[in-house]
Amino acid sequence: MSAIIEIRNVTKEFRVLNRREGLRGSIKDLFSRDYKTVRAVDNISMSIQQGEIVGYLGPNGAGKSTTIKMMTGVLEPTSGEILIGGNVPYTNRTRNAQEIGVVFGQRSQLWWALPLIESFRLLKDIYMIGDKQYDSMLELYRSLVDIEPLLHKPVRQMSLGQRTLSDILAAFLHDPKIVFLDEPTIGLDVSMKAKIRTLISALNKEKNTTVILTTHDMGDVDALCQRIVIIDKGKMLYDNDIEHLKGFFGSYRTLKLRIDGDMKASAESIQKELPEFSVSADDEWISVLVDEEKAKVIDVLGKLQSSYRIKDMQLEEISTEEVIKKIYEEGVA
Amino acid sequence: MKLKKYLALTRAGIIEALQFRLGSFVIVVGNLLYLIVVYFLWKAIYASAGTDVVNGMTFSDTLIYLALATALFNFMEMYAVWEIGRAIQSGKIVLDLLKPMKYRTYLFWSYSGSFVTNFFMTFLPTFIVVAAVTHGAVHLGLNLLWFVVSVVMAIIINYSIDFIVGTVCLYTESIWGINIMKQVIVLLLSGATIPLAFFPEGFRRAVECLPFQSIYNAPLSILLDAHPEPKKLTMTLGIQLLWCVVMTVISKLFWKVSLRRITVNGG
Repeated sequence: MSAIIEIRNVTKEFRVLNRREGLRGSIKDLFSRDYKTVRAVDNISMSIQQGEIVGYLGPNGAGKSTTIKMMTGVLEPTSGEILIGGNVPYTNRTRNAQEIGVVFGQRSQLWWALPLIESFRLLKDIYMIGDKQYDSMLELYRSLVDIEPLLHKPVRQMSLGQRTLSDILAAFLHDPKIVFLDEPTIGLDVSMKAKIRTLISALNKEKNTTVILTTHDMGDVDALCQRIVIIDKGKMLYDNDIEHLKGFFGSYRTLKLRIDGDMKASAESIQKELPEFSVSADDEWISVLVDEEKAKVIDVLGKLQSSYRIKDMQLEEISTEEVIKKIYEEGVA
Repeated sequence: MKLKKYLALTRAGIIEALQFRLGSFVIVVGNLLYLIVVYFLWKAIYASAGTDVVNGMTFSDTLIYLALATALFNFMEMYAVWEIGRAIQSGKIVLDLLKPMKYRTYLFWSYSGSFVTNFFMTFLPTFIVVAAVTHGAVHLGLNLLWFVVSVVMAIIINYSIDFIVGTVCLYTESIWGINIMKQVIVLLLSGATIPLAFFPEGFRRAVECLPFQSIYNAPLSILLDAHPEPKKLTMTLGIQLLWCVVMTVISKLFWKVSLRRITVNGG
């Protein structure tokens, strides 16, 4: 099987004007030729197969969007080579557009004033989708989500969740080989997030569409991605399957508790009760780092509840930032 | 088959425009107010001139011309500079660039729906009123056909100019000033606000060598000329066609060169 996306040693540099401060600086800037070069993406290579869902992670400003823009053909790499289904995206942008679908979580490609069904019809004609394919796609959508109430609603009246859902459907409509999802679950509530994850996963299975997903939500990654690529400051830190990363980090979660009485003293006695986990306390929270391979969080909680009065609790996932921090500190085996 | 994807955009544009019905009424009322101002302004000009005919045009000639020019303006003006500028500022242009269509073509056809609605909601009513009120001052004959041909070319020239100015926004990243400047220059030099006959001789000659007069002056002179000499007609349409080609080529090339700026240096 040949790769649908092939990226070889891609680097992207931007020239940015060195801005000065204050009114005087701003006036000087008008005539300034003082540019500095910023390397947004630094020597990245990867190869992605048809049908994969790849999580593309990194903190804000890591170069994720720049990479995606290069893959879609909106940006041209400074050096290196990108092939999307055998095409060079930035020289064949219009042709490449036919093969890809894009969702930017913050913006909509739908026609603001029109009901969703009109946007779909328009996309059908623009992408020259055949009647048969269009009908079967709508049929598939109906079986996956309850779209009837959305179809006749103008996009501007939709909630953010409905709009994101519609945008995802629109991106898959012309049955593209690759769909780029740039933070699709940003700002959504838990049930909408779950709905969107199920939809993406179903469409990926049904149509064997390659999905490139950028997100800050580890929940998205857990639910969808078999493979993760992590970049930071333009450099690729990690490219492997998610199991590997999990194995590396264990499956740690932090259980935070607030308990009646003296927190410090309670923390010490909890540590005695749970010798296998590390327990720490500050003024507000007692934190228990639970390794879920050894015990379920719910069991730990049950054990503690029998001997302490728990006022409040939080459960924290290990975040992308922590993952990256750990990779920096310890490296990936 | 290919035309279908463009006409789909026209259709969506019409539906979109009809969602905002109130907008069309506001335009009609605005027109009316503008025409009242124009009426009194030119009445004063003719009164102070002391003669009935100024620069070969009577008061009613001038008024008919300006009323139709205003109607034509509402119909042809597409605010493409705004659209491009805003798309660049907000970054929405990335999504537009990812449509399987050239951006210039995509934008034009996205607008085409509003040509259709504006034609029926503003131009046609104004034209009918003017024709009725002036009792046959507007000749209804073959000139209408040539007028339509001329307007189509005027739209293309106007769009190309808009597109060129919009492309400049890629470099300046601001829209307001550039758009106002373009508006003033085009409206003045095209004969949309003052008939070209009123310009001083030398200036008028210069203006006639520019593309702008092909936008308003050319179609209106064709419409208002009941019995045109074939030679003059061919000349007017020929010059329009020439500008059509030239401006289209310039705007395409300029965009192509400028687009590299986006693709090389980001939006």
